[in-house]
Amino acid sequence: MKSGPSPFKRLKRQLLASPLDVLITLLVLALFGWITATSLHWLVVDADWRVVSQNMPLYAFGSYPSDQRWRPLLWIALLIGLTLMTLLGPRKGWLRKALPLLWIAMVPFGVVLLAGGIGLLPIPSHAWGGLSLTLLLTACSGVLALPMGILLALGRQTSLYVIQRSCSVYIDVMRAVPLIAVLFFGQLLIPLFLPMHLEVNRVLRAVLAFALFAAAYIAEDVRGGLQAIPRTQHEAAAVLGLSTQQTLLLVVLPQALRTALPALTNQAVGLLQNTSLMAILGLVELLGISRSLLANPDFIGRYLEVYVWLAGVYWLVCTAMALLARHLEHQLSPTTSATAKR
Amino acid sequence: MTPAIQATGLVKSFGHGQRALDEVSLHVKSGEVLVVMGPSGSGKSTLIRTFNGLESLDKGHLEVLGIPLDADNDERQIRRIRKRVGMVFQQFNLFPHLSILDNITLAPIRVQRRPRKEAENRALQLLTQMGIAEQAYKYPAQLSGGQQQRVAITRALALNPEVMLFDEPTSALDPERVKEVLDAMRSLAKDGMTMVVVTHEMGFAREVADRVLFMDEGRVVEISKPDELDKSVRWQKMASWGGQH
Repeated sequence: MKSGPSPFKRLKRQLLASPLDVLITLLVLALFGWITATSLHWLVVDADWRVVSQNMPLYAFGSYPSDQRWRPLLWIALLIGLTLMTLLGPRKGWLRKALPLLWIAMVPFGVVLLAGGIGLLPIPSHAWGGLSLTLLLTACSGVLALPMGILLALGRQTSLYVIQRSCSVYIDVMRAVPLIAVLFFGQLLIPLFLPMHLEVNRVLRAVLAFALFAAAYIAEDVRGGLQAIPRTQHEAAAVLGLSTQQTLLLVVLPQALRTALPALTNQAVGLLQNTSLMAILGLVELLGISRSLLANPDFIGRYLEVYVWLAGVYWLVCTAMALLARHLEHQLSPTTSATAKR
Repeated sequence: MTPAIQATGLVKSFGHGQRALDEVSLHVKSGEVLVVMGPSGSGKSTLIRTFNGLESLDKGHLEVLGIPLDADNDERQIRRIRKRVGMVFQQFNLFPHLSILDNITLAPIRVQRRPRKEAENRALQLLTQMGIAEQAYKYPAQLSGGQQQRVAITRALALNPEVMLFDEPTSALDPERVKEVLDAMRSLAKDGMTMVVVTHEMGFAREVADRVLFMDEGRVVEISKPDELDKSVRWQKMASWGGQH
């Protein structure tokens, strides 16, 4: 676009060149104005936000016992803190080096905090809920699914026929079945495979089913990354005397995962949003707790408020994840052209 | 003294019946520089790649630094050979996700199990000899082709190889970058390294080679000493093309 004399004049030329342009511009402006005005009016005047403001602890923690709520609160606060530190914190030093470990540690830490044991009062999983449960489901299933997905992708590439076929079949079957069906199967089938006395709780069953499902998609993303690596990289590693395993861990996977990262970010965001399906299984994560609030006679009919609020919360978390992923992408390509030129 | 490389009747074909290597026999003495020349598709790259097991043999017998390799292409023998033979490729093949220093120290640390500090010092010392010490902490994509190729040479040298294989090391370079790589190879030859070099660089062949081997259609068609080159028909033909391909 040419840089005209002034932005104002350029606007005028583009939007008000002929009488028809003027008419269209005015109509579009009027439509925007009307939509904005009615939305704002509803947001500020018509909407009754008590269904949100009075139930903040429920959205955050579900029916977690109130004297123990500091535990999920601490976990969420640490997550927010880590996010801020990653995005805005110092670029160098020991803190930056410790970040990956801290992030990984957050998953078991969250489980221990919420479930209890080790000196903490045990809280049964049916009392977990709200945002803390949503985040825990996402984190746990993601952490399980990623290594499974990588192994599946590698399995699909191996020359061992049986392993290669079974990985392919697994991936194809999982991708052909809707997630909700996998989740129901998980709830109904996993207990059948286990001995009677060993009861796996509902959250764990959901996480397992979820991870098994996501792994198939992750495997395909990783495969894309693996295929992007030229054969010559294997040769270079081979002539240096690296073993097959070393080549994989030191040369191939770091590059493949870096290439697959944008697609993996998509999976992570999808994972978070798909946890809302677990409301149908009776888990009271964000969507579940909202549905039970809407069943409360005090807040009858406040659908719009609740769902607008939910959309806001999901948007915020997804944005944070996207920012973190972009940051990671940047960290892993010290030169922007590092992957472009090979 | 046993030769560094002794090849007897090497045969290699790629699928459709055409032989990339057709009964190739040759030897490379220790400390010798052998330059391999020939038109595209004459099998010179295939030949040099059999020397460290990147291409499997269909027939014949190979002995590299006394380690025998037959048509069974024994994986353990290949690994023993690779530990003592370095290789430089046409496309450099540096690892794009690692810094220059990490590219060079990867194998010394992981394969030879040397301490990181020692490996890094050695790498920096080699980089200084190559005249690119200031690039140590950059990434491959930030370097010019000539610099990348010198890093690739350094990476191979860091393992203290007894034989170096060069597979068209200057063919992917801009003309003004060729000299810096050839200079590095020249000083390597002067230090007595055993080298096998596939190249189209006639000046390098005449100056540095102890013998020049010509290949055509998978066969060795001529072996000349540098001072005999002017009498060679093939050499004159190449010269008339301007030394390129």
